[in-house]
Amino acid sequence: MSLEISRLVKAYGPIRVTDDVSFTVPAGGLVGLIGPNGAGKSTLFSLVTGFLAPDSGSVSLDGRSLDRTGPAERARRGLVRTFQVPREFSHLTVRDNLMAAAPGQAGETLGALFLLPGRVRREEEALRRRVEEMMAFLKLDRVAEVPAGNLSGGQKKLVELGRALMTGARTILLDEPFAGVNPVLIEEISARVRELNARGIGFLVIEHDLAALSRLVTTLHVLDRGRLIAGGPPAAVLADPAVRDAYLGGAS
Amino acid sequence: MEAYLLAIAIFVAIFTLLTLGLNLQYGLTGLTNFGLVGFFGIGAYASAILTTHGYPVVAGFAAGAALAVIAAWPIGLVALRLRDDYFAIATLGLSEVVRVAIISEKELTAGVQGIPGIPRLFAVLESRTWQPLLLLAVLVAANLGVVLVMRRIARSPFGRVIGAIRDNEEAVRALGKDPARFKTQVLMVGAGLSAVAGSFYAHYVGYVTPDQITPLVTFQIWMAMILGGTGRISGAVLGTLLLMLLIEGARFLPDLLPFVSSTAMAELRVFVVGLALVLFTVYRPQGLMGEVARR
Repeated sequence: MSLEISRLVKAYGPIRVTDDVSFTVPAGGLVGLIGPNGAGKSTLFSLVTGFLAPDSGSVSLDGRSLDRTGPAERARRGLVRTFQVPREFSHLTVRDNLMAAAPGQAGETLGALFLLPGRVRREEEALRRRVEEMMAFLKLDRVAEVPAGNLSGGQKKLVELGRALMTGARTILLDEPFAGVNPVLIEEISARVRELNARGIGFLVIEHDLAALSRLVTTLHVLDRGRLIAGGPPAAVLADPAVRDAYLGGAS
Repeated sequence: MEAYLLAIAIFVAIFTLLTLGLNLQYGLTGLTNFGLVGFFGIGAYASAILTTHGYPVVAGFAAGAALAVIAAWPIGLVALRLRDDYFAIATLGLSEVVRVAIISEKELTAGVQGIPGIPRLFAVLESRTWQPLLLLAVLVAANLGVVLVMRRIARSPFGRVIGAIRDNEEAVRALGKDPARFKTQVLMVGAGLSAVAGSFYAHYVGYVTPDQITPLVTFQIWMAMILGGTGRISGAVLGTLLLMLLIEGARFLPDLLPFVSSTAMAELRVFVVGLALVLFTVYRPQGLMGEVARR
């Protein structure tokens, strides 16, 4: 499932936080997005997932335009994001966080809940088994019963990834999955992302940990003050003088 | 004295229905509904108008609940787009609209004079002891039924999603679910329940006036929920009981403090209830039934 971002523009007053940005995350791709603080990376995520409306430009998934759809509809079509500051359902257990993300549960309508209890129970049992597998895959099984608000930052990142996967997403946008995460867990998260990518799930990853990110992705795009200034294989991009300039404080 | 205790028990049972509805809306879903009394008023007036015009009691209950549910639906469409605090103000406004409409619509509602002579429930039982007892039994059964339904909802996939909405609505949207659908349904269920409580109230008190549906009622129900423990279904029941004991208990203050004038005493009663609430939120913010968490 390929995600095409085409000429997106978003301005707040005179400041263009996203300035004519275009690139593609190919089906099953593993793409990174870097840039100094305030470059407009998270804004771009919000534009792509429908949380913000662009002034111009468009986003499409497999050639189908998403421009008139909201975030929920985009998620249902297989495009799901995580958040820079984790937005776990803090009072729900880890298990319930993952179960709440599964699409199309009959028990989520009041009618079925009271009229079709048998079906609701069977679906819950099946979902519970899928969630057990997911928690084992993400090594969250030991905290299954813990309210997600009590987890460490890294575990919350894993819960968000798990929720995105439970929706059946085919393209996942990860916003700083390594921020505030210890080095061991960073490798752990990277390994999971690689495995998922090998199964065909595409990723677009915002990250400040350039070393860990360049080991993970095959393509890297650089955003500076709203504009894409470089793109390509990580090693080449990081060697680019313009990129080094942008990161060294942008004295220009 | 028995009659007095019985009357208090009946009021507790009626208001517990409201607290259970608010707990579903705010405790489980995070909807700041400050307009609860509007739906209560719709139920009370529907029953009052229909039964004083010769329609059966059941018609009053059904019409009240149906009207309240229908009134909740457009709020779902419009007001749910508002942020929490604006939603609270919008619902408060709606309940005042209901009250002012009742005051203005004199032909149907008799305006500020209200409607007297609403038939008592189970009036066929001539006995003054058995009639209220039977009413109480019916109310307790209704509360039990509602508690069971609420527990079923809280522990279901639906309950999981409304809990997720309470914790982080944006994240729910990011996962492909529309919070508005869930919130609208919760609002409608709570509205219907509030209307049923209103119908019971009208039949029990025997008359309705616009004075009975002021925002004070809404905030007393909020107090009851907070005292009991927000998000706890058992807390809704115990909190309503505790609030009523505080309010009624304060009636006996004059006996303890005979030197206070009766006008000062009326204010003192409100003060006592308020003080209890403050002490509760300071020393036991999670309410009687514990953790602010869920279920």
